[in-house]
Amino acid sequence: MEEAGRAGTALLMEAASLARLHAALQNAGYRVIGPVVRDSAIILDELQSADDLPFGWGVQLEPGGYRIRQRADSAAFGHSAGPQSWKQYLHPPREKMWSVRRTGDGLEVEAADEPAQRMAFIGVRPCDLRAIAIQDEVLGAERHPGSRYASRRAGVFIVAVNCTEPGETCFCTSMGAGPEAGPGYDLALTELVDDAGHRFLVEIGSPAGADLLADVPTTPADDATDGRARSAVAAAADLMGRSMPADGLRDLMAGSTDAARWDDVASRCLTCGNCTMACPTCFCTTVEDVTELHGDHAERWQLWDSCFDLDFSYLHGGPVRSSPRSRYRQWLTHKLGTWHDQFGSSGCVGCGRCIVWCPVGIDLTEEVAALQAEAAQAQAAQAQAAQAQAGQVQAGQAQAVQVQVPDVQTRDAAAGQAEAGSGQP
Amino acid sequence: MSGVSPSALAEHAFLQGLPAEHTTRIAEAATAVSAPAGYRFFEEGGTAGQFWLIRSGHVALDLHLPGRPPLIVETIGAGSLIGLSWVAPPQEWQYGAQAIQPTTAFELDGAAVLALCDSDPVLGYQLSRRLLTVAAERPHATRIRMADLYAAPRRRVGTS
Amino acid sequence: MSAPALPARYRVTSSQAETHDTVTLGLQPVDQPIASHQPGQFTMLYAFGVGEVPISISGAPAGGSLIQTIRAVGAVTEALCSAAPGQMLGVRGPYGTDWGVASAAGRDLLVVAGGIGLAPLRPAVLAALAARERYRRVSILIGARSPEELVFAGELQAWRDGGAKVQVTVDRAAAGWTGHVGVVTQLIDAADIDAAATTALVCGPEVMMRLTARALQACGIAPQHIRVSMERNMRCGIAECGHCQIGPLLLCRDGPIIDYVRAAPLLAVREL
Repeated sequence: MEEAGRAGTALLMEAASLARLHAALQNAGYRVIGPVVRDSAIILDELQSADDLPFGWGVQLEPGGYRIRQRADSAAFGHSAGPQSWKQYLHPPREKMWSVRRTGDGLEVEAADEPAQRMAFIGVRPCDLRAIAIQDEVLGAERHPGSRYASRRAGVFIVAVNCTEPGETCFCTSMGAGPEAGPGYDLALTELVDDAGHRFLVEIGSPAGADLLADVPTTPADDATDGRARSAVAAAADLMGRSMPADGLRDLMAGSTDAARWDDVASRCLTCGNCTMACPTCFCTTVEDVTELHGDHAERWQLWDSCFDLDFSYLHGGPVRSSPRSRYRQWLTHKLGTWHDQFGSSGCVGCGRCIVWCPVGIDLTEEVAALQAEAAQAQAAQAQAAQAQAGQVQAGQAQAVQVQVPDVQTRDAAAGQAEAGSGQP
Repeated sequence: MSGVSPSALAEHAFLQGLPAEHTTRIAEAATAVSAPAGYRFFEEGGTAGQFWLIRSGHVALDLHLPGRPPLIVETIGAGSLIGLSWVAPPQEWQYGAQAIQPTTAFELDGAAVLALCDSDPVLGYQLSRRLLTVAAERPHATRIRMADLYAAPRRRVGTS
Repeated sequence: MSAPALPARYRVTSSQAETHDTVTLGLQPVDQPIASHQPGQFTMLYAFGVGEVPISISGAPAGGSLIQTIRAVGAVTEALCSAAPGQMLGVRGPYGTDWGVASAAGRDLLVVAGGIGLAPLRPAVLAALAARERYRRVSILIGARSPEELVFAGELQAWRDGGAKVQVTVDRAAAGWTGHVGVVTQLIDAADIDAAATTALVCGPEVMMRLTARALQACGIAPQHIRVSMERNMRCGIAECGHCQIGPLLLCRDGPIIDYVRAAPLLAVREL
């Protein structure tokens, strides 16, 4: 969406009207899902009303640490990524794919029921919006027309929320995934809580978004408020807690296959797979075939899987990636490197969940920095060695030739002498 | 059986790259042989006095098993050689060798070749290098066979 | 999962024991047959209630039937191997890249198979022999564990009659075996190869493919003219589950057949 097009098209909505937004979505037949506070975390769940949103709750994040905290204000979206992402709903952890019945004649195959109700997501952060787009590339309608993911995804209504307060472990800016929402939303909100009140700047991203707003009281945004909201989002780009190199990650990963750093991270990594569960783009699944007792009915279920699982790469009697070192390397080099080869983009959106939810606090931005340093060092060492070798060759040339030749010279010399002596050719 | 021209000998893969003067000397110790299928080149336990550079055909190395046909442990084809036991004492064949197909070869007199090597160390060194390469390739191939790559993979309950 | 990724029903029409643990099944579609396929592609075969495995198509006679050769190495493959004529199985596919036999037109075609690796190569052999005049020489080198574990043993003479030179070598001989005894790379060393004009198709255990590719390159065949069939754990067959990754490739989509230029660096990394 162009800046020029936006000025004048943004609207303002009072926080109290969130209830109307929620109602409008429900009336339109959506199952409304958004963040709620539960069990000392901000997780995603069905919202019975807008009151379920985590007003006044924030989070405190660090590697291996997550705490919710009371905010000084009543912001509804004043928190960054929780343990779950929207893949919980778009790419469920457990899903029946098909069932098979044994009949007299043979087998009857039946696809599992399509998910009925459309979903509306309220509170999709820009990083998560990008993650949805990334998963769309892997699992969506273009590569898999008619798939369950595709039909689920087609009906989703997205209310994105721009970021003004990045978390301590966020680095969406580095991954080009925030702090402002990219394309793909129906509505995008920017939350403002200040002396003027608690309200939202609302941007329309689709005809469906425009239609829905018809039932929600809004006023055109004045320039000042509009400007304040936009600069708050722009400022967030400089408040990120972490960063990644702007380019070259794909090549860095490709060149790091034998890096010593992997041994270092392997000494810390528990291969628990938390990162893959929390990551909004990790998509790996496995299948489970279940039969009921009589043996006439079988089902195939799809379950989330993790490349950290020892069985993941099982082949001919054992796992190909047996060591933790190889499994961590697989995860990181795929996420930041080979994802480009497979799906045309990075797999990382900078949400920082893997850093927060790693029980030992492994921080991939730190690992990347270390890999980069190691690569630079190796390159420098190589350049030095090449120079030194060039110098040595010149100096040592005469010596080297001497070492190789003596016996042959002696023998030939002797033979020459003998021949000369015998008069034979 | 007939005399061997150095140029014919030089065509064999085993002697490739050998200087002409060396090939000429070796040719003096060589005879061209042509064996029908079933011809036994040597028996296990016999005196190892020659070796053969196989030009065409197919020879089996075997071990004698009482009451059973000989066990073939390896077959050697064109471009390679049979017979390594002539090089050093006890100069006794470790296997038997029998042509499986009609086979043509250059037969080399072991004692004559050893004498050539003793009198010409450069020739001896060149031949040794080639013999060493053959001697290294055989166990390599054998180890791969022992790795039993085509065997069914280890089983684990509940997997495909 | 795509709607087409529902298993199609196929009925077993024939079951032929190739060796003590390998069976070739003939399958006929009950409903619509799966899409047409090329030599080297595979299907996901489903045994009721047990599960699915990726199995290369080993033949495709006219009329929409499928020939698939399966070695019993676990629960699903055992169930498939004991499927009797009349029984129904599920088939999803075809998936994967193919051998690219047609691209060897005008050249020598060299097929090197190790063990069960001959099964994915069989359609390539049959395709080449069906259009024999398109290729210069067709040479098939087969390595097997022992004479009793040779698959498609009864067809080799027909392949020779069809214009292919077929040589077999075994790791260990049995009484009465008058063929080669040794590793398949020893057949390469003795073969008359025109390196610049040869396209090689190689399939077998990973070690065998590495050693074979090395021997072929030592003969002067360029790695872009050597094709191998890679193998990794496969669960979905449609590039959605992530299991078959090796480096940048998803083998069910970007493989399993790739040229040796791409394969060599992947095979060189431990635990990739």
